[in-house]
Amino acid sequence: MNWLDRQSFLGADSDRHLADLTVAIVGLGGGGSHVAQQLAHVGVGGFVLADDDRIDESNLNRLVGGTRKDVDFGARKVDIAVRVIRAVNPNARIDLAPLQWQEAANQLKNCDVVFGCLDNVRGKDELEAFCRRLLIPYIDQGMDVHSVGDHFLVAGQVLLSMSGGPCLRCLGIVTQEALAAEGRNYGAAGGKPQVVWPNGVLASTAVGLFVGLVTPWHPSLGGGECLEYDGNAHTLHQSDRMARLRGRPCPHHPVTELGDPGFDVRRLVLAGPIAEIDSRYDVPNRWWVALRRWLLMRIGA
Amino acid sequence: MKISIRIRSDTLRGMRADLARPHAHAWERVGFMTTAATASSSELLLLVREYRPVADEDYRRSTRVGAEIGSEAFRKALQWAYQPKSALIHIHAHHGTGKPNFSGTDFRSGREFVPSFFATLPRMPQGMIVLSDDSATGLLWLGEHETPLKVDHFSQSGSNYRRDWMVL
Repeated sequence: MNWLDRQSFLGADSDRHLADLTVAIVGLGGGGSHVAQQLAHVGVGGFVLADDDRIDESNLNRLVGGTRKDVDFGARKVDIAVRVIRAVNPNARIDLAPLQWQEAANQLKNCDVVFGCLDNVRGKDELEAFCRRLLIPYIDQGMDVHSVGDHFLVAGQVLLSMSGGPCLRCLGIVTQEALAAEGRNYGAAGGKPQVVWPNGVLASTAVGLFVGLVTPWHPSLGGGECLEYDGNAHTLHQSDRMARLRGRPCPHHPVTELGDPGFDVRRLVLAGPIAEIDSRYDVPNRWWVALRRWLLMRIGA
Repeated sequence: MKISIRIRSDTLRGMRADLARPHAHAWERVGFMTTAATASSSELLLLVREYRPVADEDYRRSTRVGAEIGSEAFRKALQWAYQPKSALIHIHAHHGTGKPNFSGTDFRSGREFVPSFFATLPRMPQGMIVLSDDSATGLLWLGEHETPLKVDHFSQSGSNYRRDWMVL
């Protein structure tokens, strides 16, 4: 029996497809730690884990895999995620980036899908733009707790952002006002309120979108998805704004703006051995081999 | 160093449909893709911007191979790839399934015309791809006098993300 037998409905060869993929998780706190755990269970084979932070006391209420001992040692969040992943899949390929994600751009470029589990609007905006330039599907999740009178509202969203489809700016998740407000509060003491179960709902939804993207288990609408979470009513529903924007081109990330604008192949450093050309394409060599064989036969060698 | 090419599924679908159209005297249709590029220490990644077919009138009869594309097709393609600076990838399709191979004629002619792209587009790699009904094979030149390298990975991003160039 294979450990993935119970999910064979995902499609023929889905185990191999999932094992071949490399997925980046940027941010391994309350949201990203859930995602890492679930992707390991689903059978994703490769991970790039990016987070420059260490666990502290205030993370214990929601960071999956984090322990009191980790807090005492000040463990890196990437190392906690590695432990969680390896406990499920010891053979996972894991590339660590205990850095700001911008410093790990080279590691992220090679990924098939990127999960953005950042708690700041500017970071989400920049990471989505990075993925759009590289045609990498980007899955963003976020939650907030708002104080309204004498009670609180828990809300969030999960977005699958695809080239050409609506982006975080199109959907009003990244706005100039939000960016400006975040800038004004930059460095303010104290973290935003966060709890484990909305992160779990959003992470599970994000992983569901991911599995729908990379396996053929059900037809997808294409062009991305956006699901909105009401943590008080405990409901998820498709974003009305996404439904209105579906099929319309995104004005913020033109599909022609791809790659590295300063790329120059002449500067490319070939690190390590390069791929060998298939010999059957090397027509002159084959011709010379045949000629040499004929000549050798003629002279009786 | 691994070489990968990523494309949007709708671009791939349109390209395959275009290459499957019959032509008055050419057995195989030809087109060009323009791609952006980025590199890390271990991978060169090409990102397909657009596909354009060779115009019907730019095919000419050939006693040697039946039909071939003329110099005007190359001139138009190079002009198109010049701004924004793009890699220019010659593409055509063979029928059948599985990993396709370039024919000897494909390879011989490609080795003549692909390196010539560097005179106009020296900053970008250049290449050629052949499609089958469900797969692709590609060769990429990193310089005019370099040996071409095989493309290691093809992927597409659309309603599904796949590490192949099948039609979704």
